[in-house]
Amino acid sequence: MSLRVYAIAYLIFLYAPIALLPIFAFNDATIIAFPLSGFTTDWFGELWTNTSLHTAVRNSVFIAVMTAIISTLLGICAARAGAMAHFPLKAGIMGFIMLPLVLPEIIVAVSLLVVVVQIFDLGLSNWTIIAAHTLICTPFCIAILNGAFQNLDPSMEEAAMDLGESRFGAFRSVTLPLVMPGIISSMLIAFTISLDEFIIAFFLSGVSPTMPVYIWGLLRFPASLPVVMALGTILVALSIILLTIAEILRRRGMARAGVADKGGFL
Amino acid sequence: MTALITLEGVNKHYGDYHALRDIDLTINEGEFFSLLGPSGCGKTTLLRTIAGFESVSSGLVAIGGKDMAGVPANLRPTNMVFQSYAIFPHLTVAENVAFGLRKRGDLNKAAKQTLVEDALDMVGLDGYGKRAAHALSGGQRQRVALARALILKPKVLLLDEPLSALDKKMREQMQVELMRLQRHVGITFILVTHDQEEALVMSDRIAVMFEGRIGQLADAETLYRRPRNRQVAEFIGKMNFLHADVQAVRDAIDLEVQGLGRLQITAEQSPELRDTGPAVVGIRPETLGILFDGETTDRKLVDGVVDEVVYYGDMTYYDVRIQGVEAPLNIAMKNMIGRPVLDVGAATKVIWDERALVLLK
Amino acid sequence: MWQKITSSEKGRGILLISPPFIYALVLMAFPLAAIFLFSFWTQDFMDVDTTFTLNNYREIVEKPIYGALLQRSLYVSACVTLVTVLLAFPVAYFVSFHVRPERKSLWLFLITIPFWTSYLIRVFLWKVILGFNGVINTGLINIGLIDEPLTFILYNVNAVIITLAHAFAPFAILPIFVALEKIDRSLLEASQDLGESKFMTFFRVTLPLAMPGVVAAVLIVFIPTIGDYVTPELMGGAGGKLIANMIQTQFLALNNAPLGAALAIVAMVCVTAISLVFVLLNRRWLKGRS
Repeated sequence: MSLRVYAIAYLIFLYAPIALLPIFAFNDATIIAFPLSGFTTDWFGELWTNTSLHTAVRNSVFIAVMTAIISTLLGICAARAGAMAHFPLKAGIMGFIMLPLVLPEIIVAVSLLVVVVQIFDLGLSNWTIIAAHTLICTPFCIAILNGAFQNLDPSMEEAAMDLGESRFGAFRSVTLPLVMPGIISSMLIAFTISLDEFIIAFFLSGVSPTMPVYIWGLLRFPASLPVVMALGTILVALSIILLTIAEILRRRGMARAGVADKGGFL
Repeated sequence: MTALITLEGVNKHYGDYHALRDIDLTINEGEFFSLLGPSGCGKTTLLRTIAGFESVSSGLVAIGGKDMAGVPANLRPTNMVFQSYAIFPHLTVAENVAFGLRKRGDLNKAAKQTLVEDALDMVGLDGYGKRAAHALSGGQRQRVALARALILKPKVLLLDEPLSALDKKMREQMQVELMRLQRHVGITFILVTHDQEEALVMSDRIAVMFEGRIGQLADAETLYRRPRNRQVAEFIGKMNFLHADVQAVRDAIDLEVQGLGRLQITAEQSPELRDTGPAVVGIRPETLGILFDGETTDRKLVDGVVDEVVYYGDMTYYDVRIQGVEAPLNIAMKNMIGRPVLDVGAATKVIWDERALVLLK
Repeated sequence: MWQKITSSEKGRGILLISPPFIYALVLMAFPLAAIFLFSFWTQDFMDVDTTFTLNNYREIVEKPIYGALLQRSLYVSACVTLVTVLLAFPVAYFVSFHVRPERKSLWLFLITIPFWTSYLIRVFLWKVILGFNGVINTGLINIGLIDEPLTFILYNVNAVIITLAHAFAPFAILPIFVALEKIDRSLLEASQDLGESKFMTFFRVTLPLAMPGVVAAVLIVFIPTIGDYVTPELMGGAGGKLIANMIQTQFLALNNAPLGAALAIVAMVCVTAISLVFVLLNRRWLKGRS
């Protein structure tokens, strides 16, 4: 029983900072501190008129969408190879591909910065961020897609081929529908990670910043903090919605494949 | 009988592992054929070679007179019931059954539907078409797998351990149903199983496999009564083995058998061996007997002492020691009114008959 | 040729794994090799002098600031790891052993959600909680426990540890949860059947079997925390800066990329070495289990 109390206290600890967001987003004061002074929606209104914010959001969304697509495609390759095929050095290769999961982000950032700027003398752009985000998102995509592919009975595709489908036809008509929820869930997770990523983007962004880099700039100016709170509220709400969809899809995929649900994203 | 499937000199290597060794085999049209053997003997590999999921390292696989080399699984006239059944969980029962009909342009929707209904009817699942596949029981899944394969009217139906996932009662029921179904559709069934009883009950012919080779190919009765060698004899049923010395081979064979003395058997009782010298004879527990008090027999007797008694209800299995043999003889006796169950240590007389012996390589 | 590759399982496997493998090779292995090489070069105003030299490493060893930063970074990472794993274990245990199976994924979902939401803003909000006019100080003043706001809870190493421990919580819970889920419950019954109390069963059966998860949790928290510069920047004040801040400064402000690269290499080597020692110390728990 005391364990339950502890677990609930822990959840409160996890959610405490986020819970403050809407409180200050609607607070009618420029200082982010208690006591609260009054209710306002001005800060949300300011978001609408801030054009440099809009540019940053557009950049971030473009980067996140591209990252989601590319890292999910790479994830599908790796997860399917991992689940269905045996090849030399399999464990080593899979471990190597999963390595960015534990690589400190600053290392990823500086090493890519050195390669792009110092060695190849290329300019930084949204694409350099996409390349780096794809690297760190792919392991997450593989982890999610592994669940989908490993629950698949390998004789399922053989059965489709036995019933007249070609190898590709069998993949399309049997495997793809069964792993589709996993694919969408993987794309949503990669999108969320990329949209929120700051450490790498700060090093690799070109002339126009991404949204987290823009927020970082705002954090230095006390006057702009309430706007950050409003923006944060929207972002948190959006993340929760996307993650909820991803989770529902993941569960539906499990149910569709007829396997017992054993856990969360990772 | 016409040959439908021919395998000649088939070998399969996985790296250093030699999974199939020089398999020569002919399977006939309309036959219920079984591949029987312990796990790892190559029976599933052989089945998958016929289905087109494994390529051969060397040798010929022909179906209906056509060489199957390079023909992928989807273009072969074979269909398979998988061990896991591989029922597509995202489709309904009817969609599963209709899966292979997609490319049949000659059939309209109504005709396909009729075929599906007929197929479901045939396996006793009429009315189940709209059910979700993942909500089915094991037995129902198997019926869907059967309907899904048979609807395509293959020349051969391949069954990979189809009953192993079912409980004992269901398994026995499905054995009978599979036999009935095979007679009904009249096509060749090839069954892979490790369960000797299943193979003996259902098959016209059985190939017993060990370590990538066919140990013996015969009908159920021959396999049981006249195993070719000790390996086959040990795998199928129980058998007592006695050392013997072959003294003369003419039309009949003269033997000196440990514990039983000099005797003569027919050439038929020695499927392989034709040389004089040391050999082994096999004798099944149910062909031996115990002479109970008050019973008489015109067969031969040898004195023994009961060493172990295992009571099964309908049967009692005795281990009886006889003079001159190290291992006790295993004897199966039907329990009948007036026939007592003997105690360990009881002196008894063992009934035997040389017609029940088989001489093994 | 194409047909030959696609016809074997091995060929198809290699074909499939190639894109992600090549991607990781080009965008991870190659750049890592590049900064390694770079760390032996020197910055010469706007150009990079490509003569091989150990000057960067000599500077790191000789100037005490780098050693101090590295030491502080490792200390913070170790504290964060300890705090995170100790706080996380009971939660993972609770979810695995005391939550009904159908509710488990809801709990995991709730635990992971904060992890995915705007990292920067989350870190900043800790400033709001721990700050001079923050939630804790105003709260404590209002209930009369203190008269003056507490100042030792912001802009120092402790604030950095609290914030990072919060950020990495789900990373610690999930591997431990997975390890606990794998434990066959009949093993616990067997232990009690053989005379152990529930308490001792936990120490003699549950904990040893959960160790692979604990080790994974330690690594997955310890290694990435060394690379974080956002939290020390916002929460650490002058005395709470870490090695990652120095790397960032060398690259972006001082324009001395080779020295930054050398610092990054040194930091990574330290972290990897400590991780390997930790894994070796725990190898008896990891043997023969997957």
